[in-house]
Amino acid sequence: MKKIHIFILFIMIAVAQIFVPAQMIFNKESIMNTGTAYKFKTQPVDPNDPYRGKYINLNFEQNSFVTTDSIWERKDKVYVYLEADSLGYAKVKGVSKTLLNLEKDFIVSEVGWYNKRDRELNFNLPFNRYYMEETKAYDAEIAVRNNQRDSIQNNTYALVYIKNGEAVLNDVIINEISIKDYVEIEK
Amino acid sequence: MNSKIQNDIKELVEAQVISSEVAVNIESYYTSKKIDAPNRLFTVFAVLGSTLVGLGIILILAHNWDNFSRSIKTIFAFVPLLIGQFFVGYSILKKKSVAWKEASGVFLFFAVGASIALVSQIYNISGDFSSYMLTWVLLCAPLIYLLKSNALAILHIVFTTNYACAFGYFDGNQTPWLYLLLLAVLMPYYYQLLKHKKAYNITSVFNWLIPLSIVVVLGAFVARNGEFGILMYVILFGLLYNIGKTPFLNNQKLRRNGYLVLGSLGTVYMLLLTSFEWLWKDILREAVVFNSQEFYVSTVLFLITLGVVWYSYSKKWIESFNLFQYVFIFFTIIFFIGISTSIFPIILINLIIFILGVIVIKIGADKFHFGILNYGLLIITALIVCRFFDTNMSFVLRGLLFVSVGVGFFLTNYMMLKRQKTKKN
Repeated sequence: MKKIHIFILFIMIAVAQIFVPAQMIFNKESIMNTGTAYKFKTQPVDPNDPYRGKYINLNFEQNSFVTTDSIWERKDKVYVYLEADSLGYAKVKGVSKTLLNLEKDFIVSEVGWYNKRDRELNFNLPFNRYYMEETKAYDAEIAVRNNQRDSIQNNTYALVYIKNGEAVLNDVIINEISIKDYVEIEK
Repeated sequence: MNSKIQNDIKELVEAQVISSEVAVNIESYYTSKKIDAPNRLFTVFAVLGSTLVGLGIILILAHNWDNFSRSIKTIFAFVPLLIGQFFVGYSILKKKSVAWKEASGVFLFFAVGASIALVSQIYNISGDFSSYMLTWVLLCAPLIYLLKSNALAILHIVFTTNYACAFGYFDGNQTPWLYLLLLAVLMPYYYQLLKHKKAYNITSVFNWLIPLSIVVVLGAFVARNGEFGILMYVILFGLLYNIGKTPFLNNQKLRRNGYLVLGSLGTVYMLLLTSFEWLWKDILREAVVFNSQEFYVSTVLFLITLGVVWYSYSKKWIESFNLFQYVFIFFTIIFFIGISTSIFPIILINLIIFILGVIVIKIGADKFHFGILNYGLLIITALIVCRFFDTNMSFVLRGLLFVSVGVGFFLTNYMMLKRQKTKKN
């Protein structure tokens, strides 16, 4: 193959290599700019990813819904329809295997398991990772635990933007302060 | 050229063993040979260097710097990528040396990983580890061919294996079908290596890495019916052994033939594992599901292996009967007998292991190869050790068995040594 042909092919690959992360950025930016913001009450714990660093794993309170439909396979796609209460906290309004023509926001999630006794469908929300500076992730977990012990109500929530079934986790808030700053104040 | 050769040449010229013309020829031969050597060393260090720098960048970015704003972090995501692309483009356009291409390719490989990782961090994208790996490997796969880079091909197979393991074993019970595609992507490159660089060390690296990767990943193709996993592995090791026995690979040194070594060791291991009764009772306990993914994967593997044996036979590559090449057929039959009864399979498998051991000892003795001879003895010893644990034989009898095998080790080695000496004389 001629040098110039190899080079042209390389340019195509280089464009693809730039396109993938760029497309991820544009997609997420568009959700954050034009999507609706919801608050999800949560509890974080801190794990590790070998290439992407430390993150806190978020366990959401809104992770299940009572439904009479009992045929669910693990890892199946589920459309979770949401509504915000007067304080802006997200509440699950319905789940469906197919896209419904409703005027509500929804998130495409993954089925966890179905509890037959309680008729409850558990699902995994697709924004359960919040990446943090490596020194802060563990402190964040401790801070949340301490805060929960001291206060009666869980006031830790994730701020999530939602648009057309996709979501961007923007921040995790404790007592109305971003968890990044909260960790430093606690020190 | 080292000074010893120079001195020797001088001595030979002075003693009039060779003419000065021949001496010049020898000298120029050694100098021309040497030009290649430091280049290769430089390539190795360049690749190692860019691997370390690339991984270092990924780790530094993984710190998740809070102090930088989102836009600055976004710029950082593209800087290593653009630097890598610049160097790769430059080495293609300027037709730079192999070292340049390998090193810049490896750097770009890690830069792509770093870039996607950083974007995931900025926007808290929680996607599975495996989908991240898949995007990464796919975006870099074409570079193997554009740069003709061995290092990238090695990274491709290592990261593909990593992806398949993450997808199949850790991110829930899924089958990594895309692994087959990613492996197929590498095959034309591997074929070129086998064709043009048969005797090179890099080719033997792939002769080991490819079968090893398949062995590691095959388990991920078992979704629910674990008992078929055993059958799948026995057939796979049979396939590897039969590939290793094709003259192309079999005529090379054993250490270059990963297929044969892995096939042989794997077959013996699987047979020893299945020579225990508890395993068959496990199979009997659960109903074997024929209409399952595992059954079809086993069938396909079986047909491929049978195809390789048949092809070898038609090409007259198989001269004498070697049980290792047919174990997968016998085992498949035994496996299906095992569904209804557990006694027959155990007896038959013990018998097969014993015969395999004897055959290996015979091959070793015929070839005067101490390694092969002792491998055969080890197979029989392993069989006895396994039976040591689960039979109700009296201790005296077991003791006598061990003593006799130990004596066997001494005797066979001694006899062969003696035969070798008389042959030399």
